[in-house]
Parts: sequence; C-alpha cells; structure tokens
Amino acid sequence: MSKVHHDRTHHAKIATGIGDPQCFKGKAGPARFKVGDQVRIKNLPDLFYTRCQIYPRGAIGTVVRLVYESPPAEDEAWDNTDNPEWFYSVVFKQKDLWPEYHDTFSNDTLETEFSERWLEPA
Amino acid sequence: MSSSTREEVHRHIQTVGLMQPALHRQTHAPAPDEIDHTLFRAYTRSSHDVGGEPDVPMRWEEKEEEQWELNTFATCECLAWRGVWNAEERRRRQNVDLGQTIYLGMPYYGRWLMTAARILVDKQYVKLTELIDKIDEVKKRHEQSASR
Repeated sequence: MSKVHHDRTHHAKIATGIGDPQCFKGKAGPARFKVGDQVRIKNLPDLFYTRCQIYPRGAIGTVVRLVYESPPAEDEAWDNTDNPEWFYSVVFKQKDLWPEYHDTFSNDTLETEFSERWLEPA
Repeated sequence: MSSSTREEVHRHIQTVGLMQPALHRQTHAPAPDEIDHTLFRAYTRSSHDVGGEPDVPMRWEEKEEEQWELNTFATCECLAWRGVWNAEERRRRQNVDLGQTIYLGMPYYGRWLMTAARILVDKQYVKLTELIDKIDEVKKRHEQSASR
C-alpha cells in the first residue's frame, strides 16, 4: 500500500526567519521590464486557476513598480515553487479598460499586479 | 432508514434542482460541437474572477464574525503553519475548485471550512470514511444534547 508523500517542511526550510516572498529574492533572474515600460497583458489560457484577471487582457498599461519575486500564482496554487518570476505593478487608464467609462473621469487610473509571464512589450 | 431521512432526500432533490446554472437552455452533456470557444471559456473560467461582471447592488450589512468563523480561520492558519497548504493553494481550493454555485451560494467562512476538510482528505491526512464517521458521531451527539 502506498501513500503520496508531501514534504510539509519544504517551504519552512527556505522561508523560516526570512519570510515570503523575501525567500525568493534573487531567484527570478534579470527582470524583463523596468519602471516606465509600456506592457500589454497577454491573453493566455486560464484553465483551472489564475490570478490574472480577464478584464485587463489585451489592454496596455505602464509598469510603475517591480514589487517582488515569487512563484507565479498558477504554480504556487499547486505548491510548485521552483520557478519564481518578477511581479510588476501596472497602471491602466480606466478608459482603456471599460468601454463605457465616462470622459468626465478620463484621468482615473487602476493599478494592479501581474507576474512576468502575463506581460509583453507594447 | 427513518422516514425523516426520506423527507431529507426529497427536499435535497428539490433544492439541487433550483441550482441549475441560469443559462435558459438545456445543459445535459451537450454534443462537442455545441460548445464554442466563448462557452468553453465561460464554463472553465476561475469563478473568483468577477471583475467587470454585470451585477446587481448588494445590501451593506455590518456584522461581526461568529465564533465558528473565527475558529475556522484559526484552523486554516494552523494548516498553513504546519505546511499542509500555502495561501495560494487555499485560495485556489476555496475560490475556484469548489465551483461557481458554491462560490456564490455558501457563506465566506463556510467555503474556508469545507476547504480545510477537503485538503486533509486530498493529502491523505484523514480518510473520507473517518471524516464521515466523525461527522455522523458529532451529529448524533448534538441531537442528543438538543433533545435533553
């Protein structure tokens, strides 16, 4: 009789005394984008799980911050932590996201976060 | 089997009938060519991704957490401290894996509690037969103390 073995301590081994996502610092390699870059959100398949919302797919925004390195949510949701990516905070004009957004509020913006795999240069 | 069990069975069958997705069309195992890309994506989307979806206004209610809700939160945090799951796996299970009907239909901490039980079964810390027997034991104990 066999049982699947889950190593419950594997995360504690890397994060104890350091924290998460600090334990992934320096593990994602060079960042593909920098602050000020224009990026388009990719429309990748979103089967089973994602934290990349549908509403910004295909829209263009501006990188305002490199926030941390961490496994992408789609990996981490099954406890796969071997391939951390850079996470970026991206600002959009609300008018670029919602077709009916009124001109009166044309300066309104929305800021949200993506892992690198969801971004391409625009 | 007592007759109250049969009543519960029929009440259950009536209730699940109300939970058919409101598509206003037949949805019993359609032929493959009836599912186009738009429908496929709508069916398989992550149920927590509701941003931009049309909805009706919700009533604002000021309400404290109940004791069982606080206990549930503490239990789920303990599961994280013990390495049984991480926060992303918990969110995946309680916001997406449960499915849209439960995501929208159950109380927030109800989903946390169901998910805590589920991960212990999925990762073989508890057998489903053990869980069933435990729930049955607690139900009977509760019925006895309620009738006293």
